[in-house]
Amino acid sequence: MMNSQQDRKAKFIVYTIEECPACGQKTKRAFQLGDYVTKDGSKCSKCGNTTKITSIYAEAPPKT
Amino acid sequence: MSLLSGLPLQFSIDVSSLLNVVWLGSIFVFFIYGQRLQMYLIANDISRALNRLKIMRDKSRKEAIDYFTSSGKVTGDPTQRIDEFLDYVTIMPVDMDPRGVVEKVQHITNTRDERVRAEVSQIIPNLDPTKVSVAENILEIATSLNQIHKIVRHYYLLGKKTNSYMLLFQLQMIMPMVLQEADALVNAVDTFKLGQPVGDGIGPVIASRYMQNLPKQVVGKDTVMTVGEYKGRTLYVLKAEGPMGYVGEPGVAIQKLIEEMKVPLNAIIMVDAALKLEGEKTGEIAEGVGAAIGGIGVDKFKIEEVSSTHKIPVYAILVKQSILEAITVMRKEIAEASDKVQVLINRVIEEKTKEGDKVLLAGIGNTLGVGQ
Repeated sequence: MMNSQQDRKAKFIVYTIEECPACGQKTKRAFQLGDYVTKDGSKCSKCGNTTKITSIYAEAPPKT
Repeated sequence: MSLLSGLPLQFSIDVSSLLNVVWLGSIFVFFIYGQRLQMYLIANDISRALNRLKIMRDKSRKEAIDYFTSSGKVTGDPTQRIDEFLDYVTIMPVDMDPRGVVEKVQHITNTRDERVRAEVSQIIPNLDPTKVSVAENILEIATSLNQIHKIVRHYYLLGKKTNSYMLLFQLQMIMPMVLQEADALVNAVDTFKLGQPVGDGIGPVIASRYMQNLPKQVVGKDTVMTVGEYKGRTLYVLKAEGPMGYVGEPGVAIQKLIEEMKVPLNAIIMVDAALKLEGEKTGEIAEGVGAAIGGIGVDKFKIEEVSSTHKIPVYAILVKQSILEAITVMRKEIAEASDKVQVLINRVIEEKTKEGDKVLLAGIGNTLGVGQ
């Protein structure tokens, strides 16, 4: 019960992880509507290949 | 003087007597009316919880109406259709004679699912499949909350009407768990509206890693499969079709693969989310044997039936999470478990099968926000 109360109070930020299949470069950005795992992402900042979304998850914001 | 000195003593005796009377009186009152007083306090407690449930029910109903209206393709005002749907009932088959009951349950649940999809498609025609599946899920959440509220209200009113102390007491005892589940359902609406993967989708996330760049074939309602290769083994991978919010029919698909497509499988590996016990950490991984699948039991029965008939070992890999985490946006701890699970799957394939074998990997769960 306590966990659920903590979960409810915590504001989670949802991130999308894009990974380049060629060089393995990972990019973390805020989730955008329409994102889904395995969808093509943006161009890789390192090698220019098209990245793929490999993960979408929620994370508590860093404590200030 | 003697009269004055006697006064305080007289006074203290009076107070003491009075307190004794009050004390004895209160014991008498509590003895006679104690249960009634306790029942009054319990009823108040349940009434407050019932109000919370009513707020949650109304919120989910409003969210469902808003989602349908905001789709932009709604035909007329969906409020009445949605309200009618909230009271939609599924009558389970009689199980006095259990022979063939699984097929009957499957038939009824399939009819219900088709009816829900048809109803949604009628209210919002020409909408893309992902949004239709989201609408189905939101409608199911609103229906569940409506049912929870109705059942709790029924027992609360019945307990009050019949002055049944035990009925109210039992209801009060389970209320924290009921509220916890209702709370999880309400929180799930936002995740579904945004089409984000839920914690329960960890199975499909892992399966999708083995399906990349391979041709997909439909092997059951809302269920897709790929055929690939892993270290000399033929690897069949199946999951529900994403990124829609489907769970598919893995039981039917596995049965079809073995009995209709005549694939002689040497091992089945199932990956699913599992409810953690209090004290267990989110994202913990458990390994075992048996069909790792929840739901009403139809798919589990089919997998157990076909695997035992053909003597195929079934290995299970579970990722632990709470009910709230399972139906709301996937937490980082769960997503991070996928790398470890992948290592574990590879190890199971390498240790439990040999080159040339045929292995099936099934990613079980709601595949919302997870493609293939």
